[in-house]
Amino acid sequence: MFDTFAEKKFLLKQLVKKNLTSKYKDSVLGILWSFFNPLLIMIVFTAIFSMLFGRNIDNYPVYFLSGRLLYDFFSSGSKGAMNSIKKNSGILKKIYVPKYMFAVSAVCYEFVNFLISFAILFGVMIVTGAEFHPTLILSLIPIGLLFMLVFGLGLILAVCNTYFSDIGYLYNVFTLILMYASALFYPIEVVPVRVQILFTLNPVYTAISTFRECVYGVVPDFLSLAYLGVFAVTVLIIGIILFRMYEKKLSLEL
Amino acid sequence: MNLFKNKNNSKNRNYMEDEDGREIAISVEHLTMEFKVSKDKIDTLKEYIIRTLKRNKVAPKKVRILDDISFKVYKGERLGVLGFNGAGKSTLLKIISGIYEPTEGEIKINGKIAPLLALSAGFDKNYSGKNNIYLNGAFLSMTEDYIDEHFDEIVEFSELGESINYPVKNYSSGMKSKLGFSIATTIKPDILIIDEILGVGDIKFKKKSNEKIKSMMEEGVSVLLVTHSLKQIKEICDRCIWIENGKLLMEGETKKVVKAYKKNANKDKKKSKKKKKSKDKSDDDKKSDDKKSKDKKTEDKKSEDKKSKDKKTEDKKSEDKKSKDKKTEDKKSDDEKN
Repeated sequence: MFDTFAEKKFLLKQLVKKNLTSKYKDSVLGILWSFFNPLLIMIVFTAIFSMLFGRNIDNYPVYFLSGRLLYDFFSSGSKGAMNSIKKNSGILKKIYVPKYMFAVSAVCYEFVNFLISFAILFGVMIVTGAEFHPTLILSLIPIGLLFMLVFGLGLILAVCNTYFSDIGYLYNVFTLILMYASALFYPIEVVPVRVQILFTLNPVYTAISTFRECVYGVVPDFLSLAYLGVFAVTVLIIGIILFRMYEKKLSLEL
Repeated sequence: MNLFKNKNNSKNRNYMEDEDGREIAISVEHLTMEFKVSKDKIDTLKEYIIRTLKRNKVAPKKVRILDDISFKVYKGERLGVLGFNGAGKSTLLKIISGIYEPTEGEIKINGKIAPLLALSAGFDKNYSGKNNIYLNGAFLSMTEDYIDEHFDEIVEFSELGESINYPVKNYSSGMKSKLGFSIATTIKPDILIIDEILGVGDIKFKKKSNEKIKSMMEEGVSVLLVTHSLKQIKEICDRCIWIENGKLLMEGETKKVVKAYKKNANKDKKKSKKKKKSKDKSDDDKKSDDKKSKDKKTEDKKSEDKKSKDKKTEDKKSEDKKSKDKKTEDKKSDDEKN
């Protein structure tokens, strides 16, 4: 069972598809919500905060959206992986399926969502007359590192959440704090200089700020990327080890 | 045999054989399974922290479902698993198919397994039957090409026709199990694991599914079968194991194990009968015995009576009397007919 890569690939494809169709079932617009959701939120935030911070930020819609997309991927990807084992307990208790496949599929599904909403960012950039800099290609680095971080964190949370269901509630609050600590809708200059150091320790903020630099045509700071890389790889390794240790015991806890 | 042995000794991965040189499909060694059934299970973090601080963490109570079970299924052999409800049969199959990890012991499997356990567990109710074929196939570790290849075969076998395009939430339970069965049985396995599956859907489909399973069992497939139908076990299995309260009670030829199992079941029934002093004769064997004795009675009544008396020394006298009364009645009616 699931010995070859082709079998796993097909299962992953089916699981991602299942997530996509089940999320927008019974909705008229269906997958279009993946576009509209970030767009509408961006409009709301632009309307409210561009008056407050507009002077300090060049092209507020792009600034907000570039942060929001990455944050959304981080928060929904890690939450999806966290809940993946519990959500599919009915299947896991009856059929043999490698459990990590559900966590992988949840992160991949959110990544697909993230790529879809990328079209919105490009659309907004065109509409607002923003310049497309060649550094945009470099944005793949923070995205890739963020993917690793989300996956590793998702694996850790999936194990913890299966044992203690209140990890899920706790994590929801944590992501809210993280949102305010990631300078999504305000410029980092608003924050006192001493506190700014704390921000740079936040890997989600590091991913967002380096990604923004790519969008705005600045080559991202190597040290920030290195910090994000080390952090992401460490979390990923811990996640894989932890998940491997507990994978076989998980079906007894469901 | 020696020739084969030499041939087999060439290094082959996953290859297993016992001392006699017979190839093994499934090997279960000292399998023990425990489930935690603590009354106050700690599943919130708060409780965990408080209890750790207070140091009154109660060790969770464990229940042993399977206790030191060892057996082997040889290649091409059909092994039946007998046991009353709650004996641990289904847990055993779940462990062998990889759903649960055993607490202790080792399981080795040589070949591709097809577990026919929960046939419609992987369905998405919002999906159409068509999409569910692909989804469920993926859960059973098929590849996309393989399903493409067998798609028409699955649809045809399931007898769903147009309904294959409807969402599964609108299916009846019979339709669901028919589709599940059709998907799961397209695999060409080396080892077939079956839990009470023979007979899905209506009479027509039941017959067809029985034939399908029988055809799957041909061509040297090893079978592990759990069922309460002794008839099926006698028909299909070469060898049987009998599990009771998680322990391996008996292992051997089907006839022998089934006989012992039956005897045990009847003994239990007799016990309860004595307690209840019920007049009902629910036992199938007794009915058949009665029938036999009826037939024989007309031939030589007296000697048969003696024999039956000897046979039923264990039984109560009242029962003997009853049967005697019955017999005499029967005899009268028989005489009248004659």
